[in-house]
Amino acid sequence: MSGEIPPVVTERVVGRVGAALTARLAWRNLRRNRRRTWITATTVALAVLMLQLQVSTTIGIERQSMDNLIGYQTGHAKVLAAGYFAEREELPLDRALTHVESLRRRVEAVPGVAATAARVVFAAQLSDGRDQVPCTGIGIDVAGGETDVFRIQQAITVGVFLKADEPGLLVGGGLAELFGVQPGGWLTVVAKTRHGAYEALELPVVGLVGTGNPDIDRMSFFVPIGTARRMLLMDGAATEISVRFGRGAREGATLGRVRGALAAETGVEVQGWRDLEQEFLVFAQLERVAHGIFVAIFVLLGVVGVANTVLLAAFERTREIGMLMALGMRGTGIQRVFILEGALLGLVGAGVGSLLALVLMVPYATIGLDLSALYGEVDIGYPVKDRIYGALSAGALGVVWLLTAALSAVASLYPALRASRQRPAEALRHV
Amino acid sequence: MTAAARLTDVRKTYRTDHLEVPAVRGVSLEIEAGAFLSIAGPSGSGKTTLLNLLGALDTPTAGTIVIGGRTTDGLSPRALADFRNAHLGFVFQTFNLIPVLTARENVELPLQLQGLADRAERRARVEAILRDVGLEEMMDRRPNELSGGQQQRIAVARALVKQPTLVLADEPTANLDTATAHEIMDLMREMNARQGTTFVFSTHDPLVMDHATRIVRIRDGQVESDERRDPARGH
Repeated sequence: MSGEIPPVVTERVVGRVGAALTARLAWRNLRRNRRRTWITATTVALAVLMLQLQVSTTIGIERQSMDNLIGYQTGHAKVLAAGYFAEREELPLDRALTHVESLRRRVEAVPGVAATAARVVFAAQLSDGRDQVPCTGIGIDVAGGETDVFRIQQAITVGVFLKADEPGLLVGGGLAELFGVQPGGWLTVVAKTRHGAYEALELPVVGLVGTGNPDIDRMSFFVPIGTARRMLLMDGAATEISVRFGRGAREGATLGRVRGALAAETGVEVQGWRDLEQEFLVFAQLERVAHGIFVAIFVLLGVVGVANTVLLAAFERTREIGMLMALGMRGTGIQRVFILEGALLGLVGAGVGSLLALVLMVPYATIGLDLSALYGEVDIGYPVKDRIYGALSAGALGVVWLLTAALSAVASLYPALRASRQRPAEALRHV
Repeated sequence: MTAAARLTDVRKTYRTDHLEVPAVRGVSLEIEAGAFLSIAGPSGSGKTTLLNLLGALDTPTAGTIVIGGRTTDGLSPRALADFRNAHLGFVFQTFNLIPVLTARENVELPLQLQGLADRAERRARVEAILRDVGLEEMMDRRPNELSGGQQQRIAVARALVKQPTLVLADEPTANLDTATAHEIMDLMREMNARQGTTFVFSTHDPLVMDHATRIVRIRDGQVESDERRDPARGH
């Protein structure tokens, strides 16, 4: 009995028993000074609530924007004449696709492709006789896949959609407002033909579109592709074939297959929507970083609160730490208790914040937030219409939650190290 | 009798930037296994420092300390923690129980720190020792629900549950009334007699000293006298 050395135990067993003990001590210590715990947890909760809503908004608005760009402007990919992409700012008509229907058939045969539509996109001036506005004209193949690829028809705010064989104009809402024109009014399209000669054509406005995409609403109009071809002397050609992928089709793989299917064609190139909208993606990335920094400051404040709470707790419990050391708890054991306390504090605070965020996110994702009611008609830089919808992403919620807990644990490292490096005799003397 | 602990010319000097304070000045002492030894002396005589050195809570400036046949010389803080875990039990003046743990959990703590994985065995040992100190009924109470005497009994149980080589008690009765102080001393003496555990306790209370089988008096960090005696009975 006396003088006997207790049985040697393995590190693994010590670790397992120690983990249960650490968890019990950390959890109960948190409940020791409840008011302080709740104040710190509330700070973390508010910061995380903001971060969660920010993440939800960013994901939501980006999804909406991408959906908008794909649904109104780019499709998932475009088949272009070779060299068109490099000169796309000029909207060159001499770089056009000729055997359009055969190309469409080949692309539509690719697994994962749902529909294709030919378009003639051209630089134009729109005039009402007094004002003349430079804009983009888009000839759309109303009967040939346009409505399967794009959702322009659903974006009509006043009037009707174009008919395949009837000359007419569908004008972006912003442009129409500029001219003060409504369906039934007339506007003149002025554009250079494929051979460089100017041509003018007076067309009746049949409808107005509002897509939320400023490139369309403020700068574009639509005409039937036949009208565009006749006016621009395109003779059955198109400047692009837009491609929509089927639901569930893997974007990268399908794009690769389309490229593969047209690999033998020397006169064409295929661009995915991400290449076409690189500018937007860069903008979105910058916005994400800017918003992220702003909210990260709040989260940092919350985490500093955790560090402060753990530091205070470690100071108050100095003698207790000395006693644990006397009983044989190693420095690493002491560290684990405090780090876990910080992590639990973060976990609880971030959990409450995430739960509150979830409660707000459900209506945010379903009903959305009416931006025009908040700010009026302002361009927020994203191609979204009126309402923004938050994203309800369990993954994002979980990542933010756990990341905050992990950050809180990291913030507790210093107080934990400080606590564990005391000499037991000194810690026991602490008053 | 074999030695539970042996101190050879142990010195401890506290140094600040401008000052050197010798707290223990060349103490040599052999503590036989099963002793119930009191370190006595006035405040500032070096009792607590000596107890801290004996308890591997502090390292000597010079000299060697051997406990249970093992020296604490040159051990890292981690190895010292393991050493305390294996060989030493502590009872403090201010009880120093963990307030967030129940009496049972406080006593179980050293066994958990030893890595005793068998929960049933842990529980059995804890309950047995709590029965021995007469607090079986109180085991689910937290320290703030217990009197000072009861808390110190729990502390004694916590020190003894792992069957250490040596139990060190720094003024274990200083915060207790006289009757309770005697109760605690009787309890420790009983455990000493029943389990054979070696006890070293510091005190400057003559009534408490009366319980000791050996009284080592310390003055100015040195052993002044070393008296072996029959403990008083029947108070």
